Amino acid sequence: MKYRKRWIAILPMALWLGMTAVAEAQTAREIVVATDKVRNPEKPFRSTLRLTEYVGGQERDHDSLILYSKEDGATRQFRNLVQYVEPARDTGKSVLLDGHSLWFYDPNSKVSVRISAQQRLIGQAAIGDILTVNLAADYTPSIVGTETIEDATRQPRTCWHLELKASNELATYNRVEYWVEQGSFFPVKGKFYADSGRLLKIAYFRKFTQQLGASRPTEVVIIDAVDSALATIATLGEYAYQEIPEAWFQRDYLPHLQAK
Amino acid sequence: MKRASPRVAVLALLFAASATARAADPPTEDKDLSLIPPSAETPPAAVTPVAAGAARRIFLEDAFTGSWLENDLLPAPPPPPQPRWEERALLDVRGEWQVDDSLRLIYSGRLNLRAEEGLGFPNHENLTNDLREAYLGWEPVDRLFLDVGRINVKSGVALGFNPTDFFKTRAVVEPLSVDPVVLREDRLGTLMLRAERVWTKGSLTAVYAPAVSSDSPIYTSSDLKSLNPMFDRTNAHDRWLLKGTVDLAAGFSPEFLAYESQGRVRFGANLAQNVGQSVVAYLEWSGGRQGTVSSDALAFGQATGSLPAAAANVLPGLGAVAFRKQIAAGASYTTPLPRITFNLEFLYNEAGFTGSDWDEWFRTGSAAGPNSPIAGALWYVRQYAQDQQDLISRRFAFLRMDWVDAFVPKLEVSGFAETDLSDRSTRLQLGADYYLSDHWTVGGLILLDSGGRHSDFGSLPQAGSVLLKVVRYL
Repeated sequence: MKYRKRWIAILPMALWLGMTAVAEAQTAREIVVATDKVRNPEKPFRSTLRLTEYVGGQERDHDSLILYSKEDGATRQFRNLVQYVEPARDTGKSVLLDGHSLWFYDPNSKVSVRISAQQRLIGQAAIGDILTVNLAADYTPSIVGTETIEDATRQPRTCWHLELKASNELATYNRVEYWVEQGSFFPVKGKFYADSGRLLKIAYFRKFTQQLGASRPTEVVIIDAVDSALATIATLGEYAYQEIPEAWFQRDYLPHLQAK
Repeated sequence: MKRASPRVAVLALLFAASATARAADPPTEDKDLSLIPPSAETPPAAVTPVAAGAARRIFLEDAFTGSWLENDLLPAPPPPPQPRWEERALLDVRGEWQVDDSLRLIYSGRLNLRAEEGLGFPNHENLTNDLREAYLGWEPVDRLFLDVGRINVKSGVALGFNPTDFFKTRAVVEPLSVDPVVLREDRLGTLMLRAERVWTKGSLTAVYAPAVSSDSPIYTSSDLKSLNPMFDRTNAHDRWLLKGTVDLAAGFSPEFLAYESQGRVRFGANLAQNVGQSVVAYLEWSGGRQGTVSSDALAFGQATGSLPAAAANVLPGLGAVAFRKQIAAGASYTTPLPRITFNLEFLYNEAGFTGSDWDEWFRTGSAAGPNSPIAGALWYVRQYAQDQQDLISRRFAFLRMDWVDAFVPKLEVSGFAETDLSDRSTRLQLGADYYLSDHWTVGGLILLDSGGRHSDFGSLPQAGSVLLKVVRYL
């Protein structure tokens, strides 16, 4: 009888905890989906990306890229085409990412070579860093808590602190800590970890401006956590909706990819 | 969901309370802000628009190469002797100009001003122009591309050797590096008509390259033509190529090829697949009717007047035309930290020399005198294989590495090792490029050929070389 009474007491608590966990999981996913929408327009679009590298606090050099991004209706993940514009030695190179396919085209060798997401092609940034990505498609999120942290302009922001675990092999990082401002769903900060658990990069999102009908971050400060003397400012701009035919995501289209 | 919402509210209150409790101490997260470079706090407000469609690359390069040579080689290589130094200044232009919405003009070429030991100065060979590409591209309907002119058509997923790169033969012109990746870049295109269609699930390309010239002897560095497009190297025979890719599964889209030249048909396939985040596995294969490297060299040498018919009596490894295959199988792996990409490949050419062919090559060559035509005939087979961009031996192992930001930012170190598995002789090259700025690059490389004197790489006239270069991108 004693045990029965205990069960009567414990059962609602267990149910409450279980349901809370479900609610948290749903909420965490909703938060990530919402913050993905802040970063990424829902229709196919073209944008430009300038990467400015800093070494020891000094501006070192620049890369300019044109991105074409289109969401895959089945996977909810973005497919990307990247065209290098600057520096001059890299002009005309391009990259295709379509799910499992990652191809790099060099107009000098005139062949498309399959590459891995970890291959470094653009300064400090892995190719996976600069692509348009829906985090909700590749990571399982959970809420760590609510925290007030300073954003890149040192303004306090009340954020959900999320932990994202890679849910498939397409995820660039094994684990991500992510801070999303409550209410606006603006991404504020991210910390990106290797399989070994080592912190690789810290990212701050800033300069939110109206782009394609929503307020979106137009700068990301990427700090190399392994060598903190290295940092990259990614500046996004020149957003425009653009029809992107499916055939563009064939590797044989890469040689024909012009800024259209 | 309705039942969950109050609990979420409770949780939010709890989290808010915990955040308030933490507010007394500055969150440790905010310490990360100090890692943002102060100069990056306020980047320029006005950002110059990215110049769309600027598909041009022009650079000036000056490169000096010094080589050290082997002495008393048996068999002795034929003249001209390997130069001990070379100085080259070059202007490299690759550009694409949009004539109208559907028409574009493509040019790619390299103007070389060069001097080397034994070349003499001034003479017409001090100035050479490599016309790599010049063609007109037309897109009459979306994603149907029709091209005409000199075009570099390249195929293959491997790095060390490309069995499916059918238009590579005779096309490489005086490269500054023997890195197979560089050899792909500095070569002549072929005069051709090309039609390509790209669909949602694949693509198809058809190429016809007409014969507009005839076979010519193998060029050496001392008999290059100054401003001649050298169609004899690329358009001595009618050639056809049909290739296509098809999406068979998510992320799996093999390429299949069929190629015809001089009545011989070759088939090929390229497969590549990502394995996780760091590995790419790939396989390149071609097969078709061909002779051995010796018998094809003999036929070519006789057709161009470079070899007498009697050479058949001394060449090792002669064999009838039969179905023979070539394979490059490998994988790339990118290490987590630091990020270095390695490619390891096994290379196979069924038409190449076996170990016993090499034994016979050295035995025959050692018996011949230094100035014997026999030695010349033996070396001709190796020159032919190099001219055709084929493997001289049957089996090689190839390892390449590329390390961006090696030791210090902006230093890229790359290199390769290629080992002939028949005798374990190895060619090793290590290079470094330092990107001083967006426009200036300095670099160098060192090449070493090692092995016994009766081995593939150990018997080459050049034991090693050093190259220093400076590049200015315009």
